[in-house]
Amino acid sequence: MPPVLRLLAKRLGTSLIVLIGVSLLIFAIARVIPGDPARIALGPNATAEAIAALRERLHLDDPFVLQYGYFLADLARGDLGISLYTNRPVTQDIADYLPATLELVLVAGLMMVALGLPLGVLSARYRGSWIDHSVRMVMLLGVSAPSFVWAVILMLLFAFYLPLFPIAGRISDSYAISPVTGFLLVDTLIAGNVRAFGNAAWHIVLPAFALALSGIAQAARLTRSNMVETYERPYIEMAKSYGFPEKRIAWRYAFKPSLIPSMTIIGLDFAAMLGNAFLVEAVFAWPGLSRYGVAVILRKDLNAIVGTVLIISAMFLIVNVIVDLLIAFINPRIRHSQRAS
Amino acid sequence: MMKSILKTFAAALVAASALTAVTAATVTIASAETVLRLDEVAVGELDPGKASDYADSILMFNVYDTLVIPNQGAPGHQGHLAESWTVDGNAFTFKLRPGVKFHSGNTLTAEDVVFSLDRMKALGQGLSYLFEIVDKAEAVDEGTVKITLKSAYSPFVASLVRLPIVDKKLVMANLGAGDGEMKDWGQAFLSANDAGSGAYKVTSHNPQQETVMAKNADYFLGAGAKAPDTVRLRYGLEAATVRTLIAQGEHDISSQWLPPEVLKSLAGDGAQLLTESGTSGFYIKMNTTKAPLDDVECRLALANAFDYDAGIKMVAINDSVSQGKPSTGAILVGMLGANPAEMANKRDLEAAKAHLAKCKYKPEDINLELSWIGEVPLEERFALLMQANFAEIGIKSEIKKLPWALFSEQVSKPENTPNISQLFVSSVTGDPDTLLYGMYHSSAKGTWQSPEYLQDAEVDKHLDEGRTATDDAGRAAAYSALNKRLVAIAPSIYAYDQVAVFAASKRVSVPALTDPAKAFNLSGFGFTFRLMEMNE
Repeated sequence: MPPVLRLLAKRLGTSLIVLIGVSLLIFAIARVIPGDPARIALGPNATAEAIAALRERLHLDDPFVLQYGYFLADLARGDLGISLYTNRPVTQDIADYLPATLELVLVAGLMMVALGLPLGVLSARYRGSWIDHSVRMVMLLGVSAPSFVWAVILMLLFAFYLPLFPIAGRISDSYAISPVTGFLLVDTLIAGNVRAFGNAAWHIVLPAFALALSGIAQAARLTRSNMVETYERPYIEMAKSYGFPEKRIAWRYAFKPSLIPSMTIIGLDFAAMLGNAFLVEAVFAWPGLSRYGVAVILRKDLNAIVGTVLIISAMFLIVNVIVDLLIAFINPRIRHSQRAS
Repeated sequence: MMKSILKTFAAALVAASALTAVTAATVTIASAETVLRLDEVAVGELDPGKASDYADSILMFNVYDTLVIPNQGAPGHQGHLAESWTVDGNAFTFKLRPGVKFHSGNTLTAEDVVFSLDRMKALGQGLSYLFEIVDKAEAVDEGTVKITLKSAYSPFVASLVRLPIVDKKLVMANLGAGDGEMKDWGQAFLSANDAGSGAYKVTSHNPQQETVMAKNADYFLGAGAKAPDTVRLRYGLEAATVRTLIAQGEHDISSQWLPPEVLKSLAGDGAQLLTESGTSGFYIKMNTTKAPLDDVECRLALANAFDYDAGIKMVAINDSVSQGKPSTGAILVGMLGANPAEMANKRDLEAAKAHLAKCKYKPEDINLELSWIGEVPLEERFALLMQANFAEIGIKSEIKKLPWALFSEQVSKPENTPNISQLFVSSVTGDPDTLLYGMYHSSAKGTWQSPEYLQDAEVDKHLDEGRTATDDAGRAAAYSALNKRLVAIAPSIYAYDQVAVFAASKRVSVPALTDPAKAFNLSGFGFTFRLMEMNE
């Protein structure tokens, strides 16, 4: 088996075990949060009969092991149950809300890579200069405040005082785009509506930037420190003494080996954004899965809690597998280690 | 290298600016249609049989019709879908308005009324408890419905404001999976679709985002010419977002749950403040089963030590608008049996000390548990106020934060119920019965509304009289006596009568929320969109 495929099989195997563990853990945790889910769902004035009937329907009076068994049996059929918060199948809620979050996180991830890495390179290349100091200042600001603080600040600056960007939502009310993929940036193009695409892009800039800012700063900091270290290696000295152009030394000999630790962190940050997006989604009224996840936890909506956590965990694992593969692709030593094993 | 990076940044900046300019230009689409945008914190429950909170009520009152509606600017009720009604003992016979059509085009008949009532009782959710008193409902003919009660219940007509009439044919054609003949009673369908006859039709409903409604041009009372053509009810917007949206002219009416400082700031920017009062109050509830508050003298000591004026100041938005009005007793000012506004509760430290001296517990032995609901930060401020007030008469206390879910579980047992709980309680029909019975009747103890666990024969007697007296004078006398008794035995501190305050742009006029002569004595009914006017 080729080493990369072997790595993939190994990672997918461990991911499956992790997912089963997560499902068991979240299934148990969701049941120890205070409050009767049936009473919360039916409201404070529901009759005792209605509450008892819902408890029976949700198997809440059965032993935990039996409840988990019902859950696994339903999961095998692709059924995550009905959300008591929205009164819809959890799978439908996830299908509706996941694309909005994924779109936001993907754009934020792109910003993280497109801005974080070049800023790190720039800072390392001009170490000690005003460029380096400016970039480091931006990095410090980025990592020192959580994304929701940036969300509010960006909204105030660029939507309130300087109304360049919209305040809330994914697209202006005047556009009616039929969902195909759920990704508005894609669906608007499928619909052939370039103006709507521009409008959707215009809406995503601020929330994605707010979400990406700490990741940009992290990526830039890490890239800078790795590159500074790499610049001090003898082979860079040798390249310089041979008279190779600065650009070639920076991108080809210094940047590539510095990228591996940055890639790992970017991958982790990217996956973490799925969970961290909820406050940014709340501030920008972004109808995504993270916001939904928080709402269902507050209402002790058992089915939806388990469904949402499982999906976010699965995304987290998928991103990690992709990062591992990318690193193996960049770093031949990892590929060779798989062959050796 | 730097040059190329700068070039890339510059190109990206130019592209972004161009994109922004193009899109900014394209979103301004000229339209004669008027759109009202408002928000609520919670998801709106579209199924009218489950409606209970504010967002649900707004949806229900606009998408569905009821047999009666509250009078505008006056107490009592008037026929709506019911042209008239007669009462014969425990039987109420309603003559329906002919020719009313549902949004589906089906004609509204007595069968629909019977179905709606049966459905609500079968679901047992929302405010269905109001109709447990109903023995049977029958369609006498297409335009007449007879409802028979199990026992006398004078406020029954008031309860009918909470009986939305659904389109039976449409629901029956869309029954979802479930047991028995009625399967799921159309729950899955009605959670996402409208089966009403109201002034507004639902055009889309996303539980996490918004419900969009369009004016029903065929409404039997006519669609208001200046009423909004489209209404977008948004859910779960953050206070900072609403603050920015209203200031930028992209939102019209906020929810009542904005912090006072945000409302104040919006008012400072020129937003109007809409108010709704007379339907709910803020009650500080004392567990009468546990020491030391099982002693009435101790309870009266606390009721006299509480600083009512400071409480009102804490919820004031500016000099003229506050989220609270002085309370005069257990019954809200303006409601049947209430004391006049001049009899506002006042702090009396001397009286508090005198009552404490008569209490069988020594102040130094008392350590009260003051709870506040975690989801309502305002209650923490009141807990701190109480702690300071009670300390002045030598009573120690500890503040405890309880999430709502935990609180509603704890109050099911008196020994787990905190000494003091804080709750906003409203009359869901505008009648004192639905405000007080659930809080103070001994048969209703141990719910989220009744952590007092009050058992008082005189209170029970007056509450029962309020249900059985057949004329307004008799009911007023019963509630007046009840109010007097509840002040005398102080199961609660009647902190203030709540005023719901909404910030609104100048684009919309809402007479029911600005002019007391046009107000309704029913929570949420002021948001009847057909009575609103768009100014631009």
